[in-house]
Amino acid sequence: MSSRLAHPDKDITTDGQGTGPGAGQGTGPAGGRAGKGTTWLQDLLMGVRFAVAGGREGWIRTALTALGVGLGVALLLATTAIPAAIDARDQRDRDRSVGEVAERKGPDAVLVKEENTQFRDLGITGRLLQAEGRDAPVPPGLTRLPGPGEIMVSPELAALLDTPEGRELLAPRFPYERVGTISEAGLIGPKELAFYAGTDAFTGGEDFVTRVTSFGDTYPSEPWDDPVLLLLVVVMFVVLLTPVAIFVATAVRFGGERRDRRLAALRLVGADAAGTRRIAAGEAAAGALLGVLAGFAFFLAVRQLADDFTVVIETRFFPSDFAVDPALALLVTLAVPCAAVLVTLFAMRGVVVEPLGVVRASKTAKRRLWWRLVLPLAGLGLLYPMIGQGEDDGEFSEWQVTGGVVLLLVGVTALLPWLVAFTVARLGGGPVSWQLAVRRLQMSSSAAARPVNGIAVAVAGAIALQTFFVSVQGDYQKDTGMDPSRAQLQVMVPRQTEASRIPGITKTISEAKGVTRVTALGDTEALADNDPEGYFSVTVGDCAALALVAKLDTCSEGDLFLLRMDHEAEEYTPEGEVKPGQKVLLNPDGSAYEPPVESVRWTVPEDAETAEARRDPTGLLRDGIIATPSALPGLVSGSYRYSAYVTLDPAVPDAREYARNAVAQADPLLYPVRLEEYRVVGRFQSVTKGLLIGSVAVMLLIGASLFVSQMEQLRERRKLLAALVAFGTRRRTLCASVLWQTAVPIALGITLATATGLALGAVLLGMVDRSVRFDWTAVGIMAGTGAGVVMVVTALSLPSLWRMMRPEGLRTE
Amino acid sequence: MMPAGPLLAADSLHKAYGPTPALDGADFSIHGGEVVAVMGPSGSGKSTLLHCLAGIVTPDSGTITYAGRELSAMNDTERSALRRSDFGFVFQFGQLVPELTCVENVALPLRLNGAGRRDAERTALAWMERLEVDDLGGKRPGEVSGGQGQRVAVARSLVTNPKVLFADEPTGALDSLNGERVMQLLTDAARSAGAAVVLVTHEARVAAYSDREIVVRDGRSRDMERVV
Repeated sequence: MSSRLAHPDKDITTDGQGTGPGAGQGTGPAGGRAGKGTTWLQDLLMGVRFAVAGGREGWIRTALTALGVGLGVALLLATTAIPAAIDARDQRDRDRSVGEVAERKGPDAVLVKEENTQFRDLGITGRLLQAEGRDAPVPPGLTRLPGPGEIMVSPELAALLDTPEGRELLAPRFPYERVGTISEAGLIGPKELAFYAGTDAFTGGEDFVTRVTSFGDTYPSEPWDDPVLLLLVVVMFVVLLTPVAIFVATAVRFGGERRDRRLAALRLVGADAAGTRRIAAGEAAAGALLGVLAGFAFFLAVRQLADDFTVVIETRFFPSDFAVDPALALLVTLAVPCAAVLVTLFAMRGVVVEPLGVVRASKTAKRRLWWRLVLPLAGLGLLYPMIGQGEDDGEFSEWQVTGGVVLLLVGVTALLPWLVAFTVARLGGGPVSWQLAVRRLQMSSSAAARPVNGIAVAVAGAIALQTFFVSVQGDYQKDTGMDPSRAQLQVMVPRQTEASRIPGITKTISEAKGVTRVTALGDTEALADNDPEGYFSVTVGDCAALALVAKLDTCSEGDLFLLRMDHEAEEYTPEGEVKPGQKVLLNPDGSAYEPPVESVRWTVPEDAETAEARRDPTGLLRDGIIATPSALPGLVSGSYRYSAYVTLDPAVPDAREYARNAVAQADPLLYPVRLEEYRVVGRFQSVTKGLLIGSVAVMLLIGASLFVSQMEQLRERRKLLAALVAFGTRRRTLCASVLWQTAVPIALGITLATATGLALGAVLLGMVDRSVRFDWTAVGIMAGTGAGVVMVVTALSLPSLWRMMRPEGLRTE
Repeated sequence: MMPAGPLLAADSLHKAYGPTPALDGADFSIHGGEVVAVMGPSGSGKSTLLHCLAGIVTPDSGTITYAGRELSAMNDTERSALRRSDFGFVFQFGQLVPELTCVENVALPLRLNGAGRRDAERTALAWMERLEVDDLGGKRPGEVSGGQGQRVAVARSLVTNPKVLFADEPTGALDSLNGERVMQLLTDAARSAGAAVVLVTHEARVAAYSDREIVVRDGRSRDMERVV
C-alpha cells in the first residue's frame, strides 16, 4: 500500500495505513456528493455523526476526547467557582456575626459571649447565650436559643464528642445537655467545630459579654485591598487555568491518527480535502461538546464530595457553595467546542488526507525561534511597567498582570517544541534503546513536546508562585512576640471574678494532668496624681508570678517594686517610670460592675525598690509597679484583671487538652488562649492552601492526559513492538526506549519551566518591591514533582507496553 | 547436501486462541538450507505455525525441536536469545522501525546482539548492497517505496546470518513485479548464506520459489509432495 504520491504543494509520502479500520465507513453521504456543491454545515454534521455513530473506533475516540475535555472543564468550573465558594462561607460567617447591640436590658436582646476553644490544633467556635426576653434573636442555624445548661453543636463537633478521645479530652469542657444540632446556615463549613450553649450566669456587665438585638453583619465585607494578595490570587488562577487550557487542547487531539485514517477512507469515496477538514472539525466539536456536558456532570458529581476533598481547608465547603456563574457556563459551552475546532484545524495543517492513505509532509517546516520568543518577551513587556507598583499599597491592572503572566506561560508552550527539536537533532550515539528513542524524538518532536507542555507550564507557574511566597510570607507570618517556652496557655479571668477565687482557680488548673505550673497575675491601671495623662500599670501577684514580668534578685510577701524599662523599648513612656513617694490614683476610671469599683488614692512607699522589667510569656512588657498582694491597699474585686499562665509538661500527650478541661471546670467563663510564636494571616493561608489544592489537581489532570497520550502512541505501535520482540529485541530495551522518549522532553521541559518560573517569580517580586530570593529546595521539589508525575505515568504505562509486546500483536486474522 | 536430521521440526502442535483452534495437530520439518513454503487459505493457521516454530508463540501441546534442542522447554529469555542469534524474520508490511533510517533498521539485530554501531552499519550496508538497496541507507522507511522497504526488511532478516529465516507473506503488500524481485533476492541470499527459509504464503507463484510445499488447512499440515 505504501507508495509515493504526488501532491501539488509538498513532497509527500504515504504511511501505508490507508485501509485501516473505518475504511468502509466512507460509503454513503460522502460518496454521493463528490463533485457537487455541499455546505460546510453538512460536513460538520457528518463529522458529528461519525463522532456519535462511528462504530467502536469512533466511540472510543469521542469518549477519550469527551473524558479529557470533561476533566478540564470540571477543573475549570471548580477553580472559577472557588471565589464564589469562599464568598458563601464568608457570608454565613457574617450572617452569624453580631449585628445590632443594645445598651440596656430588653425583651429583644440576648447576651452573647464568644467562648472559642481549641482541641489539639483544631479551632472550636463557641458562644454562650442568655436570652433576656421572649423576643431575643436566634442566630442562624438554630431553631431556638439553648436554655441554661443546654448546648447545640455542629454535626462535626457532635461526632468528635462521641469519640473516645472526645469524651476524655473535650467533653469535660461542655457540661451541658446536648439538645440540638446547628444546621448549614449557621456554619462556615461542614467540618466546622461549633457550639451554642445556654447560660443564666450573666448579669450583663461582664467583660466580653455583648447585648445583641440582631445577628448579621450589615457592614460591607472587607475588600481584597492588599495588592500582594490580589496579585497572588490573579497569578494563581492564571497558573492553574493555563495548563487546563493546554490539557483541553491536547484532549481534542486524542485519537487523531485513527481519525485521519477514517478520513482517508472518506476521500476514497469522493470527499474533497476541504470537506474532510470540516468533517474532522465537526467530529472534534461533537467530542468537545460532549466533553462540556461531561465536565458539568463531573463538576456536579465532584461538588457533592466538596466536604471530603477540600481537606486542607479545616472547615471545608458545603457542596452548594460551589455555584457556577451562568455567564461562565455559557462561555465554556460555546468556547470549548470552538477551541476544539480551531485546534483540530491547526493540527491538520501538516496533514494531507489522500484517498490511499494519510499523507504527511516528509520534511517538517523548520522551527523558527523568533516568533516563539515574541510571546514571553511580550509577557515580560506587559509586566515590566508594573515593577515597583505594589509599594505602599499601590494598584495593579489586573488585566495587564493576567495578560503578562498568560503570555509568559504560553511562551513556554511555544518555546518547548523548538527546544526539544533543537536539542534532539544534536543527540546521537548510545545504546539501542537510546537510539530508538532519539530517532523517534527527531522524527516527531512536537508529539513528544505536546504532552510535556502542560506539565512545564504548571511547574513554571508553581515555581514562580513559590518564589513569590517565600519572599512575602514573612509579611503574613506574624511574630506574635509570645514565648511558649515559658508558658503554653494564658487563662484570662473575667474582671468581675471574686479575687478570693483566684487561688482556687489556679489550684484546680494546676491539678490537671500534664500541668507543671500555674502562675496568676492581676493587672490594673493607675494614674499619677499630678498628671491626667500619666497612666501606668500596677501588677499584683506572688513572688513567683512577679518573676514572670521582672528580673528579681530577692522577693518576699509584702515586697513592692518599681519597674525600670529599657528606654529603647517600643513600649517605653516616661510616665511608666514611677517615683518613690509619688501620689497615685489606683484604678482611676472605676467601673460599672456590681458592686462598683471605686478609685483609691495611694502613695508609693519611699523605700520602694526598683526592678528591671521583662516581657511576660505573652510578650507584654509592663511598666509602673509590681507588688505582692499585701504591699498594696486592699482593692475590691473587679479592680484587677487576672490572667493565669500555665506551663505544661511536654512529655504528657494532650496536656493542653487536660488543662483546658480543668480551666472549664474551674469556671466556664475563664478563657484559655494558646501561646504560639507565629501566627499566619488567614487569607494568606487560604491562598497558599488553594494553590496546593489547585496544583495537585492540575498535576493529576495533566498526568491523566499524559497517560492517555502515551497509551495511544503505544497502541499505534502495537504491531511494530510485537515485530521487534519477534526478532529478539529484549523487552527491557523497549521499556528503556519508552522511558528515554519521555525523559528527554521532560528534562528539557522542566529546565525551561524552571528558568521561566524563576524569571516570572523575580518579576512578580519586583512588582511588589521585594528583594528576590530563591528557595532552591522548593524549586527542586516543584521540578521533581513534575518529573515524578511523568515517571509515574511511564511506570503505569509499562504493563500495557509489556502486553503490547506479546506476539499476539503480530496476528492479522 | 541435506543433513541427516531436520534442523527444525514440529510434532503434533496444538494451539487455540480462546475457543478458536488455530493449530490442530500440525507437523513440520525443515533441513538446513532448505526453502519450505507453508501454504493455505486465510485463517488456516499457517502464521500461527510460523510463530510457534520461531518460538514467538508457545503451543498448547506438541513439541518443537531446533538443532536438537526442545524449544518449548526454553524460557522466554532463551527463546529471545535464539531468535536474535539463529533466526531472521520478514513480515508482510516489513515492520521497519519508522524513525530509524534504513541502514539503522538493518543494523538493528546486530546492535541487539551487542555489536558496535559502526561495525553493525558496515555489515548492514553490505547486505543492503546485496539486496540492491544500498542507496537508501540514509532514508527513513516512510521515504521509500513498498518494494524497497521489503528488500530492506529482507536485508535486516539476513544480517545476522541466521540459520532459519521466517518469512510471513513477504510479498503480500507488493505488486507482482516487486514481489517477484523480492522473492528472487530473498531466496538467492538465503541459499547463498545456507539459511533455511520457512515461507508462509497463499500465492502459488511465491511458493514456486521453494524446494518443498506444505499445506495447512484447519490447523493441520500436509506435505504437498505426498499429495502429488
